[in-house]
Amino acid sequence: MNNNELTLLAKKSRVQLLELAFKSDGPSHLGGGLSMVEIFTVLYGNILNYDIKNPEWEKRDRFILSKGHGVLPFFIALHNAGFISQEVLYTYKKNESDLISHPVMNLELGMESSNGSLGHGLSMAVGISLALKKRNNFESRVFVVMGDGECNEGSVWEAGMSAAHFKLDNLIAIVDYNKLQSDGNSEAVMDIGLLEKKWESFGWDVISLDGHDIVALNDALSHRANNMKPKVIVAHTTKGKGVSFMENNNTWHHNRLTQTTFDQAIAELNL
Amino acid sequence: MTNKEKYDQVFIESFSITADQLNENLVYQSVQQWDSIGHMGMVAALEEAFDIMMETDDIIDFGSYNKGVELLAKYNVVI
Amino acid sequence: MKITGKENKQWSRLGSRATYGQAILMLAEKLDNLMVLSADLGNSSGLDRFKATYPDKFLNIGIAEQNMIGVAAGLAKEGSVVFASSFAPFITMRAAEQVRMNMGYMDLNIKTVAIGSGVSMSFLGNSHFGLEDAAMMRSIPNMTVVSPADCAEIVKTVFAAAEYPHPMYIRLTGAVGFPVVYEDDYDFQIGKAVEIKNGTDVSIVATGSMVYESLEAAKNLEEVGISVSVLNMHTIKPLDTDALDKLIKKGKTIFTIEEHSITGGLGSAVAEYVSSIPNSPVVNRIGLPDEFVITAEYRYILEKYGLVGIQIANTIKEKIKI
Repeated sequence: MNNNELTLLAKKSRVQLLELAFKSDGPSHLGGGLSMVEIFTVLYGNILNYDIKNPEWEKRDRFILSKGHGVLPFFIALHNAGFISQEVLYTYKKNESDLISHPVMNLELGMESSNGSLGHGLSMAVGISLALKKRNNFESRVFVVMGDGECNEGSVWEAGMSAAHFKLDNLIAIVDYNKLQSDGNSEAVMDIGLLEKKWESFGWDVISLDGHDIVALNDALSHRANNMKPKVIVAHTTKGKGVSFMENNNTWHHNRLTQTTFDQAIAELNL
Repeated sequence: MTNKEKYDQVFIESFSITADQLNENLVYQSVQQWDSIGHMGMVAALEEAFDIMMETDDIIDFGSYNKGVELLAKYNVVI
Repeated sequence: MKITGKENKQWSRLGSRATYGQAILMLAEKLDNLMVLSADLGNSSGLDRFKATYPDKFLNIGIAEQNMIGVAAGLAKEGSVVFASSFAPFITMRAAEQVRMNMGYMDLNIKTVAIGSGVSMSFLGNSHFGLEDAAMMRSIPNMTVVSPADCAEIVKTVFAAAEYPHPMYIRLTGAVGFPVVYEDDYDFQIGKAVEIKNGTDVSIVATGSMVYESLEAAKNLEEVGISVSVLNMHTIKPLDTDALDKLIKKGKTIFTIEEHSITGGLGSAVAEYVSSIPNSPVVNRIGLPDEFVITAEYRYILEKYGLVGIQIANTIKEKIKI
């Protein structure tokens, strides 16, 4: 897909995301889902190598949603990529469904791991990256999406330290830096300080960009440095991006859409 | 008591405010006691006062003193 | 701390977490050296009003539960009474070693409060469920484990905990609309089970959300002439063995009911004790299976595993061969 197509897909994805959340008739992590739409659009629209007919294809890229509650754009991306049918998509948050508020490992549906508790995904990604190198699989890459709040967890930094130690240049982390977390403004809750500098000091290559800029994301994710360093993309985003009354409004961290708010949101997106 | 008097009293008691604050500026989180807990308490008091059970979506949409009047009409309560 | 039936009804509407928030707010009025910690779940723990009213008594540690327990330890050591809340698995598993070292080994005065324990987190799924948290905490020496049966008991537990100079794990089950067990004030003491019903045919020992369901089961059983005892074992550790001795003397099958795995929780604790007494009755443990459970609406999950009143009654009937 070229950048124009990706931009259109991102727009469509936002609408699909809101429809899915609304139809689920309960609260969803809307804010932190909307902030990652471009990231997922670019990953699944252009970057990741996968085969929906062969989900265990050895040469596939691996993707882990460590920020587990970001399932909305993930499920939409998996649907648009062909892993999840429309029918299965709409089992989201139905009793005993495979699609719940966090990913549950299911390769058929395109989910590499179970997540939900924050701070676990990067460690698993380190393990996978190591395994791939051991097997001389130099094509596959491992991508992990984390949240900035998630970077409060010490386990993230243990993983980060080890990734640099093991020289895992097949590992790419993306931080959805939307500057909000459950209890509010991240700087006010637990100030992470200079996020880019922290990753740099841990031995990572750091790219800082606008997380809603498709061109920038595409460039950063396509490029392979092969320089024996893991890479992190610090994506500056807006929680609730795309819907004016949700942007930077933390009441939409985990909330339900009513007919009123759904109609308002869709009206804005369809302009 | 008229419906309006009952309605107003719930707001005054739930949020420890005065009658002159009962206007279009009275919205969720505009006064200290109208936080998420205060909201649930106010809704419960209204339900008891008017003998109704509000639907979840209406409880969520109930973002202001004025909006509440609009929503209660759905339950045949005319303020 | 006295409660009234009317207050209990109001708290019930707000639910377990918001009731914790209300309780700790009331406690703050009386306790100068109180400190309340959260790991980015202050709003989820019903603490927004507490934060606004007592900002110097509140600390948000961000999404860092291990650090939260360590920080709690430092504060406790320097004289604070500390309450620290998060979801059950994050306290008991993520921060298990910090809990073991600081609360267990050093016996520091920290109360951890697990919000949304059991399966009340519904669609958030197994990563968030408290399936084995009581088992984890029970196995740590010096730990007290309490699981309140309704919102009034949550309030009483918080107040009793504040006066109890030992580490405690408070396991909150139930959600918004946590059913009322106590319609009037009653005597609550840590470590003393509450005999709610005294019967002759079947003995039930329940904790947390399952106390209400056991009472519903008892109603159903009584309709067919089965007389039921229901004991609210709110304190899972230390177990009230005197209360158990009374049930053992009745000689009737003991059923334990908990919104927790049958491995390691209340049932296991009761079975451990009862099996050490000669000629004691059989203990049947009713609870969640030794599995990661399905994800669904809260009540749907309870029904899937036979944990609502009428299903408990049917299980009991089958076991005693009625």
